[in-house]
Amino acid sequence: MIDTAFVSAEEQSLTNRFIDEGFITTPADDRAGLDRIQRRAAELAADFLRLPHSNDPQDLLDNIHTRVSVAELNALRMHVITGLNAEPWLRPTYFRLARSTIETIVGNELCMQRRVNLSIQLPGDDSSLLATHSDVWSGDSPFEVVVWVPLVNVHRTKAMYLLSPSLNGEMQDRMASLRSAEELYKTIKPHATFIEIPYGHVMLFNQTLMHGNRVNEESSTRWSMNCRFKSIMSPYADKRFGEFFEPILLRPATRVGMQYKLPGGFHG
Amino acid sequence: MAEQAGHRGYIGARPLNGSRTPQHVQNIVIRDYAKRKNLQYLLSATEHIMPGSYMVLEDILDELPRLRGLILYSIFMLPPDEARRREIYDRVLREGCDLHAAVEEITLSSRDGIQAVEDILLVNKFATIL
Repeated sequence: MIDTAFVSAEEQSLTNRFIDEGFITTPADDRAGLDRIQRRAAELAADFLRLPHSNDPQDLLDNIHTRVSVAELNALRMHVITGLNAEPWLRPTYFRLARSTIETIVGNELCMQRRVNLSIQLPGDDSSLLATHSDVWSGDSPFEVVVWVPLVNVHRTKAMYLLSPSLNGEMQDRMASLRSAEELYKTIKPHATFIEIPYGHVMLFNQTLMHGNRVNEESSTRWSMNCRFKSIMSPYADKRFGEFFEPILLRPATRVGMQYKLPGGFHG
Repeated sequence: MAEQAGHRGYIGARPLNGSRTPQHVQNIVIRDYAKRKNLQYLLSATEHIMPGSYMVLEDILDELPRLRGLILYSIFMLPPDEARRREIYDRVLREGCDLHAAVEEITLSSRDGIQAVEDILLVNKFATIL
């Protein structure tokens, strides 16, 4: 375990939560930034649906299922996420939502996924499901974390589920004998926890743990964003530096080190 | 609420024939193929990076009753075992669906097309590339 003489009590507490539970939920470091993202998402959704901009963005997002069909859902999602990613302030703001937690759990020389993702899950819709998975299984590095940000309150099936670190290894050992990801879900179902997160909070989770979502059986629509962060010098997998990740924090000592050349010209 | 019928994309994280294609590029190729063939593209599922795992493909096959078919990024993403491939062709055609491979521009919509696909896979197994 980490020598506590080198970390603060608060850092040790966050570290223990991440290792033991696999996730940390915490109030957004930059609440005004989160409100700005939520407001812009609602404006883009309203533009797509040709509605006036709402004074209550959370209400519009929560109840979007009354205004959009499943057939239109992906076009709406693409319109909103393309518009958000086009905002130059989006990624710096997204980082600031969880900066203190990211720096404690990952480090302070960081790269960030180039595009922030958006999920919209209408009540009863089975077209936007994410089967049980670990991001590592589809080419992410085990050194990454995910910052997951709901734009509305999420609870029960409106949220995502995660398998605890204490059970993940045992379930992975059974995987090769199972036929499909749906069979895998049935195996882990009794142990998977849906994580309740009120709007205004963010979650950082260990994406090597099995997670996913199910049909949203609640009465309102889920809107959540996700983005991956990793220590810039840690190993990459199929999601490569440049094409998937780009540096956001590189410290001067590292820049100096990368450019340094030993004196040359010796012939003896 | 049933999903609107369309063609599910299928991409992978494992190298194919020794080459790696970024996943977002695989999706661009599939989306372009679907557009040119006038197919309704549904968001791709990504196969596991673990060698020999086809769990994600099995999920898509389970989904076939609600789809019109699937679009593989490449025909070489199919399992190496011929018997298992033939089970896949059977399931796809039995459900009234079709199977496409975007890179090779292959469409399998009837039993008549199976041997042509198998010939490609067989030759690829033995032929060398300079």
